[in-house]
Amino acid sequence: MSIERKTGRPIGELIREGEDPEQLYGELRAAFERECSAALTPQQGQALRDRWLGRRSGLLSAINDHWLKAAPRELKPVVGKLQNLLRRDLEAAVKAAAEAAARVQVQAEPDLDTTLPGPERGGGAVHPVRLALEEVLDIFRPLGYSVAEGPEIETFFYNFEALNFPADHPSVDEMDTLFLKDGALLRTHTSPCQIRIMESKSPPLRYVVHGKVYRNDTPDATHSPMFHQLEMFAVDESITFGDLKGTLEHFVRCFFGPQTQARFRPSFFPFTEPSAEVDITCPFCSDGACRICKQTGFIEVLGCGMIDPNVLRNAGLDPERYQGFAAGFGLDRFAMLKYNIDDILLMYQGDARFLRQFR
Amino acid sequence: MRILLSWLRDFVEIEESPRELADALTMAGMAVDAVESEAGETVFEFDITSNRPDAMNHFGMAREVAAIYRRPLRAPSTACAESGPPAASMASVAIQDPDACVRYVGRVFTAVEVRPSPDWMRRRLELCGVRSINNLADLTNYVLLEIGQPTHAFDLDRLAGAAIVVRRARHGERLVTLDGEDRDLTEGHLAICDAERPVALAGVMGGQATEITAETRNVLLEAAWFRPSVIRNAARGFKLFTEASHRFERGADWNAAPRAADRIATLLAQTGPGQVLPGQVDCFPRQPKLSPIRLERAHILRHLGIQVDDAEVEEILSALGFEPSPDTSGWSVPAASHRLDVERGIDLIEEVARIHGFANIPATLPLVGAAPEPTPLAAEDARMRSAVRGLGYDETIGFAFISSDEAERFGPGDPVSLRNPLSQLWDVMRNSAVPTMVRALEWNLRRNQPFVRLAEFGRIYQRSGASYDEPSVLTLGASGTARQASWAEPAREVGFYDIKADIAVLLAPFFPDAPDIVTEGVPPYYRDKHAVGLKSDGEVLAWFGELDPKLARERKIRQPVWVAEIFLDKVYGRGLRRPIHGKLAKVPAVSRDFSLLVPNAVDFASITEAVGEMPDLDSVEPVEVFRGKNVPEGSYSLLLRAWWQRLDESLTDEEVNGFAAELRSRLQSRLGITTRT
Ligand SMILES: [Zn+2]
Repeated sequence: MSIERKTGRPIGELIREGEDPEQLYGELRAAFERECSAALTPQQGQALRDRWLGRRSGLLSAINDHWLKAAPRELKPVVGKLQNLLRRDLEAAVKAAAEAAARVQVQAEPDLDTTLPGPERGGGAVHPVRLALEEVLDIFRPLGYSVAEGPEIETFFYNFEALNFPADHPSVDEMDTLFLKDGALLRTHTSPCQIRIMESKSPPLRYVVHGKVYRNDTPDATHSPMFHQLEMFAVDESITFGDLKGTLEHFVRCFFGPQTQARFRPSFFPFTEPSAEVDITCPFCSDGACRICKQTGFIEVLGCGMIDPNVLRNAGLDPERYQGFAAGFGLDRFAMLKYNIDDILLMYQGDARFLRQFR
Repeated sequence: MRILLSWLRDFVEIEESPRELADALTMAGMAVDAVESEAGETVFEFDITSNRPDAMNHFGMAREVAAIYRRPLRAPSTACAESGPPAASMASVAIQDPDACVRYVGRVFTAVEVRPSPDWMRRRLELCGVRSINNLADLTNYVLLEIGQPTHAFDLDRLAGAAIVVRRARHGERLVTLDGEDRDLTEGHLAICDAERPVALAGVMGGQATEITAETRNVLLEAAWFRPSVIRNAARGFKLFTEASHRFERGADWNAAPRAADRIATLLAQTGPGQVLPGQVDCFPRQPKLSPIRLERAHILRHLGIQVDDAEVEEILSALGFEPSPDTSGWSVPAASHRLDVERGIDLIEEVARIHGFANIPATLPLVGAAPEPTPLAAEDARMRSAVRGLGYDETIGFAFISSDEAERFGPGDPVSLRNPLSQLWDVMRNSAVPTMVRALEWNLRRNQPFVRLAEFGRIYQRSGASYDEPSVLTLGASGTARQASWAEPAREVGFYDIKADIAVLLAPFFPDAPDIVTEGVPPYYRDKHAVGLKSDGEVLAWFGELDPKLARERKIRQPVWVAEIFLDKVYGRGLRRPIHGKLAKVPAVSRDFSLLVPNAVDFASITEAVGEMPDLDSVEPVEVFRGKNVPEGSYSLLLRAWWQRLDESLTDEEVNGFAAELRSRLQSRLGITTRT
């Protein structure tokens, strides 16, 4: 039975012949979709519209009379619902088809205000510490470094002893350690993971270790009891202090800008020998006259050195055969320098206004 | 540490400007924090690392200057006129614990008079930040600043038996120290005693009973070497940190003790009044044996990457007070008592490197020796993070500390507690990241943010036998409108289905089939019946839903707060699923709509389950859910749309009609769902 014939007959009769309302509407919808996809020109669009939605002779108007109005009382709700849905969808489709066809010929709608903002979709922010981390990892990965994080709850052995902190030495106090009730501690730096990696893998080793570290520091604009550290180390048979310098010079140029120069100052850390602190030329001024470098032209950014032979030995490596370097710094501080953040506590409040700057 | 330029000049020639000198010392490892000019004097403020007690005085710093510029170093004068009976006849010294006290040098002065120090000495002390007291106290402070050896002056007439006995304190002994505190001593403390009782806490502070007073005429001066750990324990035990304990716990020089005693004698003879009795009472039971250090020439190249000339190596080490003797492959260097931090070849290499100048070591790049190991779970983590970002969650990081009260309400028992927490609000490591997230949401809602969506990637902390687990959790928090309201879209409150949809997006890369929804075991901090879990293979992957409004109200939050916890180790453990391409249909799918009246007890999952597998059935989806007006009591109205599709041929109307009839009959017979009439 053709569509025209069906839509011309009362629904009651069709149902007595075994049809049901959902089927009937489903068939109509299928037929419309076939015709709609074939309507490509404005003329065809207009014909489609006349055939289905024409006010007097359209198919929809026919079923309105023969199906909906003529439906038995008990079928009225369901037929009404189906009729409405079909009308809604047909009208939308015909309109869309007409617009699509028209667009091929007309250039642009004259009244589209392209300066109105689109509705906000808001891709989420990346936390500035994470942003800095990803930048650092992107510098070290091509140099052949793997990435590890390690546990935050550590033992005294890994956090201090294995790293050559002399027992009963002031340098242990200087770390302001947070201890757990059973004697374990929250790592004060990422270096314990250096030992864990050296214990479980064989050189050559090239690793970046990063993650949260903890100090018993009262929070203020420059101190936070939890912050993020990143450290990189390399162990092989012939790694020299010159290699350490070359690697870190490359790193600070990539991170702080190509004109950045690094200055290596002798310093002291129990786990490296020789040890150095690295200052970079101030990226914020050219004449040593800004607040950030405290009018010195230099900013201290990281600590580094050749891994102390005792540390290698404590981790089970033979210092007569292997040597290496290590360097570490605070990711929060790097992020603060790079993104002009003046208060470290902003990092940990979760203030959306702060975070959204990093979208 | 404050160092005066004029005092350095007593020991070494300096032609450079203060700024040049400061830079040179900084680049040799003696960091100058500030150069100040005070009353015509140049004062350097140094930050000296804890391994260099030898440089924490003027002579030691002058040695660094001499090494940097290779200039001669002049020692302070210790030549003085002595007279009277030998010191040893007037006082005795005995060491009973030669391990804790390696050396004790006594010097005896008679006919002293306590009075102010000469102006030049007072001025130097004050420029160094030390208050002038009297000539005898000032002398000890002056020599401490000059050569770094702490000394102590006793009133000899008040020492019982004119004796010094260095021994462990006995249980029950007490000492009133110079600060007026009456202290209990134990066997753990090293005490300086006279013939009867303790008179000083060794290396930390003297006692009141034997201190110098206006009546003092005869003095016993102590210059000793105490073991650092002994001094450190005493200072820490009494929380009594003095200039002396600071030096001793970092390591003094036992050979400096007699020099310091002689230097004080010299200065006393110079500034008077007082008589220096001949000789020292030097008790040095056994000279500690220091192993000679081996410095291999090849190791300098191996560690630094450059070869330093032999002559320069020897010059640098000699200038620093070492005595290298060369041989074919390098040097043998006796350890020096003023540099106990230098014990190994690598320590000497560091000395050579820092004086040669780190700047003079060329930068090189190491060769890559091995392929890097792939980082575990990096791909999984990157996928998850970019999806979270794409869904519009702002990444936050919160402190890992919570209160034990919070731990009790939010996590499973026995949290990881801190022994020395920063505060009672932060006394345990979090066993759930939800309280952290609630704090962050609260922070924003208090600042009238209408739209908050936060995500935190972090750890939670749990005991695991004798050790700990630190599982990774992704915590989501949302409150307020679903999106920022705009002219183009009206505002809508964020709700359960928004979070559910977001989690579906986040988990899709890991699970080919959607995980099961479970309602059992949902933690009590979620609102009852407004939260669920996701499970796969019996493991809980996530909890999500509305935070218990009671908890929200306690934090003064008066609007619904949605929270999700996704256990990343469980999710990442599945690995990213490998997508498999199937065939695409050549003809469009056909749909049928069903207007259903559903009993309230029947949920959508039961409907899809009742429909079950059907040939060519592609999907069923809810188009409209309506409750209330015109819907019979006990039911709701559901408009269901089903799609059928066959890959390479069209379905006929008759076929689809047959499918539809079957679907209706399944819903009718299995769930009692009727087509709406
Ligand atoms: Zn600057």
